[in-house]
Amino acid sequence: MAVQPEALARHRLSRMALNRMGLWLFLLSETFFFAALISSRYYLQGLARPETLNQALGLGITMVLLLSSLSAYRAETCIAHGDRKGFQQNLLATIALGLLFVVGVAMEWREAFVHFPPNTGFGSIFFTMTGIHAFHVLSGLLVLTLVYMLGRRGHFSAGSSWGVEGAVKYWHFVDVAWVFIYPTLYLVT
Amino acid sequence: MQNGRLRSALARGRWVLVALVALTVVEYAVALVMKSGNLPWMIIMNLVDAVLILYYFMHIAQLWRKEE
Repeated sequence: MAVQPEALARHRLSRMALNRMGLWLFLLSETFFFAALISSRYYLQGLARPETLNQALGLGITMVLLLSSLSAYRAETCIAHGDRKGFQQNLLATIALGLLFVVGVAMEWREAFVHFPPNTGFGSIFFTMTGIHAFHVLSGLLVLTLVYMLGRRGHFSAGSSWGVEGAVKYWHFVDVAWVFIYPTLYLVT
Repeated sequence: MQNGRLRSALARGRWVLVALVALTVVEYAVALVMKSGNLPWMIIMNLVDAVLILYYFMHIAQLWRKEE
């Protein structure tokens, strides 16, 4: 019994829709998690923040993460249009920028241990929020590296790039979370 | 045609980044200028940031748009 090409295409589309819905539901659950973290900052500390926060570093790593979102978007767009070279270059740039962000967070932590250690009110919130976010960045980097390695072996094409799309969407989510965490810790007064 | 679409999509991404960076700089400036009571402004700017990323980078509209 031959399977009609139209039926195959329909099946593929419905599977993609299910994949997307599953990922969005996962991201929604993560949103509630980060929302709880952010609200805990206001509940426990109000709007107070120490003057010793390194504002330049906070702004710098925020820019790095925003830039990594652009390169991730470009990687996804390139593979969706069949540009394999552009996909690999941009994915590599995303991974490099993600690593730079992690280095920035490590520098931030070194200073924070001196000025507001984890056993202080603001310190406990700062380390929890940046630590959990950095863990998400690291897991995103792991997935992006896997996608990069698969891409180098010839996986993914214009018509079949769900792996790239899923990993990149997760990376953007990590960026959205930081967009809210950054002002919550550094800017709000 | 395919290259034209790719170029247009990549250019859109650059504009979104410009908007995100500009908003972040404004947030930073607001925090410097307003020594208290800047929370509502931060929330508004963060929401705009999030909408830009969700719509243009994460393609959230795919959820309700019929694929062809």
